[in-house]
Amino acid sequence: MEQAKYEAIKPGVLRHSVVNWVFVTIGVYLIAIVLLVLGIVLQLTGTINNFLTAQNMLNIIDAVSMLGIVAVGMAFVTYSGHYADLSVPTTMALTGIVAVEMLKFGFVAAMLSAIVVGFVVGLINAVAIGKFRANPIIWTLAVNYMSMGVIRLVWVNKQIYPDMTASTVRASEMFDAIFRLRFFDKIALPMVMMIILVIVLQFVMRRTKFGVQLKMTGAARTPARFSGINVERMIAIAFIICALTATIGGLAVTSLNRVGAWYNGKGYEFKAVTAVVIGGVTLAGGRGSIIGVLGGVLVIGILNNILTLLGVGTFSQDMIRGAIFIIVVFVNARSLRKMGRDYE
Amino acid sequence: MSSKTSKGIRREKTLVFIDKNRIFILFGVVFLFMAIFAPRFMTTFNLTTIMRTTAMNATAAIGFTMILIIAQLDLSIGTIITFAGVVGLGLKQYIGYGGSIPIAILAGCLIGLINGLLVAKAKISSFIVTLGMLTILQGAIYTITRGNSISLSSPDAFAVSDWLSKMLIPLITPRVVITLILVAAFTVFLRFTRVGRNLYMVGGNRQTAWLAGINTDLYTIVTFVISGFTAAVGGVLFAMEGAAATLNLGDTSLMYVISAVIIGGTAMSGGKGGVLKSFFAILSLDVLYNGIILFGLGNEVKIFIAGVILATVVLYEAYTQYKHDKTVGQRSELLKEVDQLKEKLRASKQKIAG
Repeated sequence: MEQAKYEAIKPGVLRHSVVNWVFVTIGVYLIAIVLLVLGIVLQLTGTINNFLTAQNMLNIIDAVSMLGIVAVGMAFVTYSGHYADLSVPTTMALTGIVAVEMLKFGFVAAMLSAIVVGFVVGLINAVAIGKFRANPIIWTLAVNYMSMGVIRLVWVNKQIYPDMTASTVRASEMFDAIFRLRFFDKIALPMVMMIILVIVLQFVMRRTKFGVQLKMTGAARTPARFSGINVERMIAIAFIICALTATIGGLAVTSLNRVGAWYNGKGYEFKAVTAVVIGGVTLAGGRGSIIGVLGGVLVIGILNNILTLLGVGTFSQDMIRGAIFIIVVFVNARSLRKMGRDYE
Repeated sequence: MSSKTSKGIRREKTLVFIDKNRIFILFGVVFLFMAIFAPRFMTTFNLTTIMRTTAMNATAAIGFTMILIIAQLDLSIGTIITFAGVVGLGLKQYIGYGGSIPIAILAGCLIGLINGLLVAKAKISSFIVTLGMLTILQGAIYTITRGNSISLSSPDAFAVSDWLSKMLIPLITPRVVITLILVAAFTVFLRFTRVGRNLYMVGGNRQTAWLAGINTDLYTIVTFVISGFTAAVGGVLFAMEGAAATLNLGDTSLMYVISAVIIGGTAMSGGKGGVLKSFFAILSLDVLYNGIILFGLGNEVKIFIAGVILATVVLYEAYTQYKHDKTVGQRSELLKEVDQLKEKLRASKQKIAG
């Protein structure tokens, strides 16, 4: 790190700046294009079939849409310089199970109560981390434990089904059907929601006062505070956005699984972090964009799709995904360092 | 803060002492409570069970404590535990325990080495590296075993397990001895050797440590190797328990070890903490969980209480730091002056208004 400061100034290092600039600016979409080309080549050579069809492309997006919903929220936490919100999986499970339980008061009550619960979890994180500066990883881990404990205590290790709790058949059917809704018979609701969230949150991150102040907070907290930004509020809002997107993701998972249970949402925290970081939001904070995160989600989707078409097992896919994750972050961080934008 | 009488200083010193040694006090309180109230707690059998579970998690906690001391993070210890268990048992039928156990432990060291090189030399955040390693290892474990858990049933499969559980004196089995030796060795290493003290410096302020002539990269790499080593030893101890390795052997260990080490007083920000404290934290949690089960309460209470304890400790530490940041450098006599000025201002305003 100390040497890097001087490396950045040396003229010889700047020779590669064009390559580095490409990596940093287009970054993740370059990988997505490479993967797409790889898929097309594999199809042309006859190794895999049905890669380049409209249906398969839709399937790719469909498969990662819920991950996308969670990841765009998680991106705000990473953007604010707070690594990740590890309480996401149980937030998803908790909001889902609450919604199923509240179906006895009707569909609207179920949705509203889920959102309220998600908001409260976000608020708890926001106060502890934003106000009292608790360590984000450990704190959200503790919240993860506690909400898991709440689920297990209240519902005594049981799973609950919408058709058993709902007062009317209509409410339960609506709950099951809402996330199965398809536009033009093809485009599923989670996909639409993901795209809407990406557009809205990209706007929020880049074009609003909040977004700009959050960027400053994430990049340099103390200078941000001294320049009059209410950093505590910025961080708090970031965590609340994350909890709310996790709520939407949780409702979707619960609705699609037709069951409210403690294990809904398991593994989403690490998957979302992978997507966010591949997408170019650096852990140091203040850098990246939601469009980039969408790219990260798509890369994961295309990769999984190609590997599945190749007949690679789920678990070998894990290994490849992990390796690509490390390599992408390495290249990205190295390019930033060589360009002199980052010292660490 | 304003009047620092000798009494006040003494009181402050006591508070600092309590804060520093809170884990020993916590352990004492929990142990006494369980000893008095929990049924069948003070039986040799029960205490042996506690020592056994502690032995396995505590080994992994040694490495994790050192990782936190140099201000890094290792999320891969859970999967290293599983990996070592799977390798240790899986290779047994080919080369026997004499070959498979050293290979399992070496594999742990190697994974640690890769982690360390990526963190120190490639300069990738340890959160990312070990998260990626977690994913890779999980895939590797399932690919190697094809998704089946390994359990041996040949007559000599339990040889190591039996030896590890042989009672030397009440409560003390070779398993516990191994752990205690490791804990003692690393405590001495961290407390009394120059290299050990340097580790704290690397964690406290990396740049200063580098300027002081410490090879920070080497220290980071070696610490990751140690973390891999202790996790692998823990994994082997886990697996030898019943000569069986399930594929989620170490999944709960990660969270368990992280919370225990934090509760023990090792800070995420680095440069603080100790192996002995982590050991007692693991012991306290084990005693607590054991007591909860003895009271007839279920797993769900255990999870909830674990979360509450961890949250309390984290919040307490954060709040202390928050208050410290707010009051540090403040001089009470100047603040008093400000108050007087404010008072004057208010009075003059009232005069104008009136």
